[in-house]
Order: sequence, then structure tokens, then C-alpha cells
Amino acid sequence: MIASLWQYALAGLVSGAIYALVAAGFVLIYQVTGIINFAQGEYVMIGAMTAASLASAGMPPLEAGVIAIAAAALAGALSYVFAIRPARARGAAGVTLIFITLGLDVALRGLGLIVWGTNPLSLNAFSSGSSIAIFGGVIQPQALWVLGADIIVFVLLYVFFQRTYAGTAVRAAVASPAIASTFGIPLRTFAFWSFVAAAAIGGLGGVVIAPITSATYDMGLTFGLAGFVAAVLGGLESLPGALVGGFVLGIAEKISGGLISTGWEQGIGFLILVLVLLLRPQGLLGRAVRQA
Amino acid sequence: MSARLAVRGITMRFGGVVALEDVSFEAEAGRVLGIMGPNGAGKTTLFNVISGVQKPTQGTVALGDRTLTGRGVAAIAGCGVTRTFQTPMMFWGLDVRESIACALAAREFGGIFPPDPLRSLVPSGFGWPRRRAADAALRERADALLATMGIAELAGRPTESLSFGEERFLELARALAIEPLMLLLDEPLSGLNPDEIEIVLQTIVRARDAGVGVLLVEHAVGELLSVADRVVVLDHGRKIAEGAARDVAADPVVIDAYIGDELG
Repeated sequence: MIASLWQYALAGLVSGAIYALVAAGFVLIYQVTGIINFAQGEYVMIGAMTAASLASAGMPPLEAGVIAIAAAALAGALSYVFAIRPARARGAAGVTLIFITLGLDVALRGLGLIVWGTNPLSLNAFSSGSSIAIFGGVIQPQALWVLGADIIVFVLLYVFFQRTYAGTAVRAAVASPAIASTFGIPLRTFAFWSFVAAAAIGGLGGVVIAPITSATYDMGLTFGLAGFVAAVLGGLESLPGALVGGFVLGIAEKISGGLISTGWEQGIGFLILVLVLLLRPQGLLGRAVRQA
Repeated sequence: MSARLAVRGITMRFGGVVALEDVSFEAEAGRVLGIMGPNGAGKTTLFNVISGVQKPTQGTVALGDRTLTGRGVAAIAGCGVTRTFQTPMMFWGLDVRESIACALAAREFGGIFPPDPLRSLVPSGFGWPRRRAADAALRERADALLATMGIAELAGRPTESLSFGEERFLELARALAIEPLMLLLDEPLSGLNPDEIEIVLQTIVRARDAGVGVLLVEHAVGELLSVADRVVVLDHGRKIAEGAARDVAADPVVIDAYIGDELG
């Protein structure tokens, strides 16, 4: 019983790592623009599909991965330039923008269908070798790439926000856009880059997860929803929260899937979402909203 | 550089309400221009127009030979005109020194973000000697600014933990950090105790002596007149008086406007 629990937890660690990356994208965009970008999962799909199709055409995996991340980042840039910016320029805000991102999600998934079709694409694991045993549980070598991607992304994000002028300026602008602009720091300039960064992070997630799950045009829906739940779980405004939320959700999914039935895996995510919204709406690591 | 802020024929209408009507005046570098007027006279609207928060219905604002009207707040700040708000707003999540350093860095990069990517993106403390020296210099300047306000000991405190008076001090230090040519202060004394008021007034005088042009909106008339070189008086959106502080204070039209306000 304990042994199988441990094995489920290890499996959950891997999917949780991807949820954490997607959640980080939600948090980045939400913090900078106030928009919940429901197209977030599609950047995972674009990363995974691009890498898988390039690799199957004979490109070495590293190159394919880099191009796939760039493709996802480009999709993020285009999302902002063609969907978000024009709408904002016409005064759209709040729920309108969120609906636009839902449309964007459908559009990107449709694009994936047109470009890659319905057949799943596979991608070889980045490193060969047999499964790795950890205290009686096993993980695939590819899982280390997934976890490594998480470490790199979250360390880079931490360094950017805490140790660079640009990151400090973003934090200042997020905290108080009106004041930051009186210093000459325009929050709007950051909006574009938040979409690019969030999409690149999602794309990286797609690249590293593709060898485990294989890549399909509609994989973005699952990852997008899970990433959203993870982001809300973590507080929607907190990058460490996104990390914790991703892992909590991934592990909870796999354990409930293993103990009850795999049909429950996704259901448990929404159960957690409902519980969080009822019991701790500010999320695990989020701050309660201040009353002015 | 001797900068002159010229406000020419500013009219601001909100639907049928006229908040400002044909207001013109000039403010000089190295001088404090007091802006007086009863509640609803249009003082804050005037600041909003100058700083770019609102676009005027008519009229222009220029700094030297650069027209500011039509530019955004960030661009106007880049030209050297910045402001504070009636309620101090903090960068929650940043500590006091970071808040100042952020303003200092903004100034250094000409107010454009993302600025010089190499310098702004290279993390501090990663061993590049020049970057390390630049960081140290920035910290030093931030600490020096805090010290001149007498709040050096706050440097490492999170901005969430500050008292109202400390927030006011940080707000002022932060605004001065971008080394503005023109500084618009919207009621910087409200809510402060007499000791704190004295520190803010001294800071205003020091900034003026350093060549900053200060536009000061303040309800505390005595304190305003004590630091203002010249005064503009607004009432119901119109300029009703302008001149040396002492003359304006004795102007019957001005006294009338204030008493009328208190009675009304």
C-alpha cells in the first residue's frame, strides 16, 4: 500500500512539474495584465507538437526543442499582438478579455488540428537508459528532464524578479502601476513580454513532457485546465504558489487515480478547485486581498 | 538646465462640468509654486493634466520647448516631470531600499523599460565587477536619499510595514530619486504630525535649492505660504489670483473664496 502510494506520488511529481510550468504562465500574465489567459495550455501543445514533428523529420532533439520553444513564444507574442492588444486598445477589460483568451484557446487548438492532424506524434526520450529506482518507486529518465526544466524555469524567474533591475521594475509596476508610471516605468510594455515568457515556459513544458505523454493537437486543454487549477491553488499571484500548486495537484491526481480509478484523475483537480475557492480563496501561498 | 513649465489655456470638461477653465501660469526651476484653492477648485485635476493622467479638453502644457500634452504618464516622467498622489501608494512586495533603487534605476535608464537589456537583466551579485560597482553605487545613493529624510533605518523594511508618515517620507524620497526637473506634490503634508511636517517642508526647500521646480498643492495654507515663492489660486476651475505668496495671502478676492468655501 505504502509502496504503491509512493509510486503514484512519483508519477504525480512528473505531471505536477508540467502543471507548475503552465501555472507559472498563468501567474505571470495575470500579475502583469490582470488577464487569466485560458490559451495557456495551447503553448504546451505547440511546444510538444513542434518538437515531435521536427524530431520525426530527423532534427536532433536539442535543436527541435529550442525551435519548439521559440515557436511557442512566437504564438504567445502573436496572441498578445493580434488578440489582446487590439481589444484593450478598444477599451476591453476584465471578463471580456478572459473570453477572448477562451476564443484564442479554441483558435490555437484548431490551428494545431490543421497543421498536425489528429494523429498523436511521439518524441524519443532525451536520454536513453532504464528506469531509475528511488526508494522502491521508479521514474523514467525523462522525468529528470521534466523536473530539471522546472528547476531552471523557477530559478530563472526568481533571479529575474529578485535580482535584476527589470524584474524589480516589473514588481513595482505590478504593485502600483500608477506610481511606477510616474517614474517612467510603463506596465503596458511588460504585457507583451509576459505573454512571450509565459508561452515559452509552456512550450518548454510541452517539449519535455512529449516523450512521456506523446503529443496530440488537443493536449493543451488538459494541461491548460490543470495549470489553471494549480495557479488558483497557489494563489494566482504567487510564483512559488504556482510551483506548490502544480505539485500538489499532480500528486493528488495520481494518488486518487491509483487508489480509486484513473477516471477520477481529472475530477479530483476540479474537486480541489472547488474546495480551495470555498475554504481558502486566496490560495495556498496567496495573500488575502487587502481592504483599502 | 533651467527648465520652465508652461501651462497654457488649460480647460478640462467632464461632460457639462467644467473642472478647469482657461488656466495659464508658469513654474520655474528652483522655485516653489504653491497652488491654493478651496475643495473642488480643480487643483488635483490640474496635476492630472500636467502629469498626463488626464488629457485636457483644450490647452497645452510644455516643459521648455517640449510639449507634454498628449504624452503618457511614463513619457512625461521621462521628460522630468513627476508627481505624488494625495494618498501615498507603496510598492507592496518591495522593501524601502528597493523602492528607491527602482526609481533610481528608472532615472538612470532614461525611463525606458526594458532599458539597456544587458545592464538591466544581468543579475546583481553575479560577480561582474562593473555591475557590482554600479549596484553598490545605486544602493549608496538610495541610502543617502533615505538618510537626508532621516529614515535611513527604514532601508530594509518591507513597504507593507510602514506607518502613514513613513509612507509619506518614502513617497517623497522615491519621487526625488528620479531627479525630476519638476515635482508635483499633491497635499504632501496631510495626515502628518508637526515634526513630520517640518521634515517634509525642509525636504521641499532642499529640493528647491538643488534646482527642482516644485508645484505644491496643500490645504495647510500657513505651511504652503511659508515655503512657496509664488502662489496660484484656483476657484471653481478658474485662476483668480497669482503672485508673490505674501501679496496673494492679503488679496481680498482670495480671502473671499476661502471664506465662501467655509461658509458654503
